[in-house]
Amino acid sequence: MNLKERVLNRLQGKEVDQTPVGCTTTYGVVDFMKKCGYERPLADTDPQAMTELAIAGHTYGGFEWVKAMGWDIAALSEALGCELGTPRIDRQYYINKFPYAEGVENIVFPSDFLSRGRFPAYREHIKLLKERVGDRLVIFGETEGAFTCAANLVGPEQFIKWAIKKPDQVAKTLEVTQQAAIAAANFAFDYGVDFFVFAEPTSGPALLNPRIYEKLVLPVEKEIVSQIKGPVVLHVCGDTDPIIEFMCQTGAAGISIEEKADLKRAVEIAHGYGVKVFGNVATATTIFSGTPEEVYREAITALENGTDFLCPGCGIAPGSPLENIVQMKKARDDFFK
Amino acid sequence: MASEERTQEILKGLQQAVIEFDEDKTRELAQAAIDEGVDPFLATLEGLAEGMILVGDLYNKKEYFVSELLLCADALYAGLDLLKPAIVASGRISEAKGSIVLGVVEGDVHDIGKNLIKMMFDVAGWTVYDLGKDVPLEKFVEEQLRTDSDIVGLSALMTTSMISMPEIVQKLKEKNPRVRIMLGGAPITPETVEKYGADGYAKDAGTAVDEAIKLIKMLKTEEKAK
Repeated sequence: MNLKERVLNRLQGKEVDQTPVGCTTTYGVVDFMKKCGYERPLADTDPQAMTELAIAGHTYGGFEWVKAMGWDIAALSEALGCELGTPRIDRQYYINKFPYAEGVENIVFPSDFLSRGRFPAYREHIKLLKERVGDRLVIFGETEGAFTCAANLVGPEQFIKWAIKKPDQVAKTLEVTQQAAIAAANFAFDYGVDFFVFAEPTSGPALLNPRIYEKLVLPVEKEIVSQIKGPVVLHVCGDTDPIIEFMCQTGAAGISIEEKADLKRAVEIAHGYGVKVFGNVATATTIFSGTPEEVYREAITALENGTDFLCPGCGIAPGSPLENIVQMKKARDDFFK
Repeated sequence: MASEERTQEILKGLQQAVIEFDEDKTRELAQAAIDEGVDPFLATLEGLAEGMILVGDLYNKKEYFVSELLLCADALYAGLDLLKPAIVASGRISEAKGSIVLGVVEGDVHDIGKNLIKMMFDVAGWTVYDLGKDVPLEKFVEEQLRTDSDIVGLSALMTTSMISMPEIVQKLKEKNPRVRIMLGGAPITPETVEKYGADGYAKDAGTAVDEAIKLIKMLKTEEKAK
């Protein structure tokens, strides 16, 4: 069974020889950059550098699928008018200014959305990545999800307050970001990705009441998933225990969760919906600042708890040591010996 | 002077207004407290702060989340903005609790957690010097020296920004060995605090003030022992 079959089969619920290992959020890791010779910030915007760094995850990190569309979760927000902060080799793009902090009366979905921001570069990049590894590796695209994007446009603090006090303003913003999310994912599928991840950190219980997630976020995610041409994976950070059911009800093919969530329970729930689970080795405390032995142990635990795809729980921190990252594949190989 | 019954009514009302994040109601009752001669210090502590403690219980029970806490904080500030000047005008010098310089470290713009921490210190009667977000290293040192604060609180949400914390801790300690430094934010653990040479850790806003008081007490005990 080749790697592409292993990953696709698992995603489709078919037989696999072993659990795939990889990363399904960002992996703009400095050690990968040094190894492949293509560094951020060039790799944030240049199609070739982005492609080489994507493949470095497979070559040096042992990842069995690769990521398209760069190393941050700001692409939709950028194309809708957010000003981004300056990236460095060890710091991804971040949201610097919220263009609709004063109100969303004038917000509209721009007809030239896919010509804005980094989408033209992504077009070339996905084509290139497909040419290079598309026959043997699964490729996924990723952006921030509709709720997180909307919060970036308004300002997260104000937006989550609006979610309680001004739901009509939230709905108006989500109407636009929903279109952006659908457009971005279908664009990625058109150019050849195999699945698409929406990262939704701002919608998680670390900030938002799960009851509001159910009321405001779930219907939007459902609608988005229903309009996308291929499988969607939904990533939410933090302790997602209270919203695992809702994440599974979005229609996503997979959910990606952190170590703060109960993986075993999540797998039980998700499998009831036919949903796969990605996770959940701790990025900050273990892959970034722990020892190789700790990463190995956490990876084994994740496998024992039934993860469908052995992954970090979130985006890998740029300064994470390569020696730590490769422990995930080592653990998986040993587990299935 | 308000009767005891009316005072209790105002205090309970303030608590409830904070819990229900009703800014107008908090403002109205804070004004009533001032107009009717209720001690503004009492209204702050037994009304607003007590309300926030009850909010903290709801948070711990997972009935409230940060989304609600932020709204409760707005309601609390609506009252505090009226009561603080009244406390000053009354000539009552509140027991000095301490002072803290707070900020989110450079490269990080996630300030929701920091703002909640700020509120807890504000309502507990501390003097808070809030540097905001994306704060350069030197700014923390300058502000600590300028204000001679008891505590410096550093916040980070990203692993990419938390790595600047050890340098800030070192610089602060070099300039002023008496200062006590607290770290907070999603990637921070008690182990990080130890590794980075800081002094305290608060897992959330509810425990931050207690931890800060503990640090100051420890410092005073150490100095007495010398």
